[in-house]
Order: sequence, then structure tokens, then C-alpha cells
Amino acid sequence: METLDPTDDQLVDRTKAGDARAFDELVVRFSPRLYGLIYNMTSSHEDTNDLLQEVFAKAYRSIRGFQGKSSFYTWMHTISVNMTINFLKKRNRRKTMSLDDVDNGILNDPDFIAATSNGDPSHSANLVELQKKLNESMMKLSHEHRAVVTMFDIQGMPHLDIAKILKISEGTVRSRLFYAHKQLQNHLQEFIKK
Amino acid sequence: MDNDNISKLLRLKRYEHPPAEYFENFLTEFQLRQRAEVIHRPFFQIAWDRLCHLLAPPNFPRLAMAGSFAVAVIATGSVLTWSDSETQAPLAQKIPQVSSKSSPSVQYVLPAEVVTYASARRSF
Repeated sequence: METLDPTDDQLVDRTKAGDARAFDELVVRFSPRLYGLIYNMTSSHEDTNDLLQEVFAKAYRSIRGFQGKSSFYTWMHTISVNMTINFLKKRNRRKTMSLDDVDNGILNDPDFIAATSNGDPSHSANLVELQKKLNESMMKLSHEHRAVVTMFDIQGMPHLDIAKILKISEGTVRSRLFYAHKQLQNHLQEFIKK
Repeated sequence: MDNDNISKLLRLKRYEHPPAEYFENFLTEFQLRQRAEVIHRPFFQIAWDRLCHLLAPPNFPRLAMAGSFAVAVIATGSVLTWSDSETQAPLAQKIPQVSSKSSPSVQYVLPAEVVTYASARRSF
């Protein structure tokens, strides 16, 4: 007989009742997605690892205060964005990302091929150049704009979810995206297909 | 049109992720950190957590628990203070104030039994 995976809410209830393994299951479920969110805002794997640990520790400590008014998914994203923005405000230096962790699948992505086909035929050389440029462009955005771009463009989240996470209106999400895209266009002009 | 191209470029950042082993080790690291945190936490915090866990239902927010606890402490304190003043006030009224100076208005009367006993002795 097929056993259904428990829902997030069921795992939250079990955690509140003292079942630490239920929270472990939530950590496994949410860590890849939250890693992407934090990483694209910090551009540092070391900082992302530390922050993600702190995010889950904070969530575990305050899970009794989670009353289910929003989904657990939204709640976790809100904690992650707020903690990352606070961290970035304190961090003075701007770290550059490690290019070692780029999945090789990117070399076969049509969008990557299209973006780099005008230049050097060697994809790996262009990959480094493109990733460096993308990273630099993202880091030029304000923390708030970077959060919106990360969630919408990189993670593919809908405007409504982003609005709930950031506790702003959908209109504000759209205007931040518009402004951020304008800025990014200037920095990434050479890779944009005409 | 440019917006679409920007979005396509940004989507390429999805390929930047750590290897799969990272997430397998992440949970272990989290559990180790949690244990270390418990060991280094002050005793009163651990005691408070256990009290919350024992007394409050699972969905009861911790802040509400702290509020209820504070109200309970204040209420108990008020009741104790009030009952103390209630028991002490009548006693203070019953004890006669005797001054060291002899006052002509104060009359000392012997209890009836003593009078009876003295008169009985006199009768022997």
C-alpha cells in the first residue's frame, strides 16, 4: 500500500508536539529551495550555509508562534529573506561567488547557448564570463530589488507569493521588478539577444 | 522583449547550486549545531522550554504562554498580599493600646472567676 508523504502542516503540528524528526523532514524539504534564495542574494556559499543553518534554527525555536495564518512555505521564505537582508546590511564587503558550483547542465541550456553564441566558441570560457557578469549585476541591485529578482526570475515564484513573503503589494513587486530589470539591462547588454 | 531576455539570462543562475551531497550533510550539521546550542543554553531557558512544553497545548504561542504566566504570578501575588492585610487588620484593632503612663480613665476589673476564688478563700 502506498503511503502518502505528510503535508507541511502535519509536520509542523508534529514538531509543535515535540517530534524533532518531523522538523528534520521539513529541513530536508526546504533546504534546497531556501539555499537558492539565500545564495542568489549573498553570492557566497559560505555565508549561505551559515545563514541557512540560522534560518532553520530560528524557525525551530519560534515554530510555536507559527499560527498557520500563512503557509509554512511563505513563513520560511519570510524568515530567510529578512535574515538575509539583515545580514547583508551588516556585511560591508562584497564577496564574489565560487564558480566551481555551476552545474554543467548549463552548457546545454538553449538560453545559455543563445546568450553566448556571438562570442568565443568555447562555452566554458563564456560560462565564466557570463556567470561573473550576472553575479556582478545582481550585486549592484539593492537588497530589496535583489530579493524580488531572485524569487521571480530565478526561482519562478508568482507575484502574489512574493508580495505575501515581503508583506508588500503586488504592485510594489511589479514596480521593483521593472526597475531591477532596467538596471540589469544596462549591465548585461552584451548578452541580450537583439 | 528585453524583459524576457533578462529573465532568461537570470534563469541561468538556477544552475548554480551545491552538489547533492551538500544537502545530505546539511541535516547532520544542523542536528549537531542544535545539540551544541542546547548544551550551551542557560539552565533557565531550558527549564522554561520544558515548562512551556508541559503546560501549553501545541498550538499555544510562546508569547501568550509568557503573558499567562506573568498574569498568574501577579494574580497570586495580589491575592497573597490582600489576604495578609485582611488577617492582620482585625488583630491590630483587638489589641488594646496601653500606654506606659497611668491614665485615670482606664479601669482594671478582675475577672469574675478570680473574685469568686478570692472570696472562696476568704470564706475558709
